[in-house]
Amino acid sequence: MIEGRGIATLVIGTAHDIMSKVVPPRAAFVDHPVGRTFGPPRERSRHQAILHRALAELEKFTSGGEIRDLGCRWLPGGNREWETALRAEMLHDR
Amino acid sequence: MPFQYLSIMAQNSAPKPPRVLAAPSAPAWCPVTKPLNEMRVALLSSAALRLTDQEPFIPRADLSYRRVPSNPGSGTIIIDHHSGIGTVPKQDPEIVFPRAALAALAENRTIGAAAPFHYSFMGGVRQHEEIENKLAPALAGELTQADVDLALLVPY
Repeated sequence: MIEGRGIATLVIGTAHDIMSKVVPPRAAFVDHPVGRTFGPPRERSRHQAILHRALAELEKFTSGGEIRDLGCRWLPGGNREWETALRAEMLHDR
Repeated sequence: MPFQYLSIMAQNSAPKPPRVLAAPSAPAWCPVTKPLNEMRVALLSSAALRLTDQEPFIPRADLSYRRVPSNPGSGTIIIDHHSGIGTVPKQDPEIVFPRAALAALAENRTIGAAAPFHYSFMGGVRQHEEIENKLAPALAGELTQADVDLALLVPY
């Protein structure tokens, strides 16, 4: 609807599986826990770097429905220990 | 492999059926015609964000939206969304609503400007028809009126 008015959109999200299903025109994937898209609290330089990286992808999209991985990982080396805590946090969310 | 959210959301929904994720038959597409450093950019957040002096959102079914000034000095941001993942972003809404980061990118001319207002609404609402027929057109109208070139959507 927004694109139909001549305004480009870019989704910046952490849920790759959801973005794959809803097919936004342009999507930038950040491999962080949901609710921490731009990094941990108060890390201003990291927030700005991730936003900048997403914006830099804008001109690389050539057609609707593409998801581009920004290469941002929550923990050094791509450690995925955060997934266990996130799963517990989300299962409390009823 | 990226974290799988849909299966957990389905567990959380029970006994209600899982949320319906609607995808268009073909994604809408508006070509980018301006360089980034000439674009006016707005944020859209589904975190039900507002300034402290704005009317609170009503959890779970609110179909309204708030205009949030893009100036990071304009006031403290509150997150009204009911999600249990909110404890961390409520410490610093910037991690889901990068208002200060966008202002900094406008300041250093990476983007042309931040729009005067960003927009927020309640994510996770199940009234899909009302969202499609009322909320989404109202937000699209706001963006058009503000001459926004690029809308950054940050799901919560």
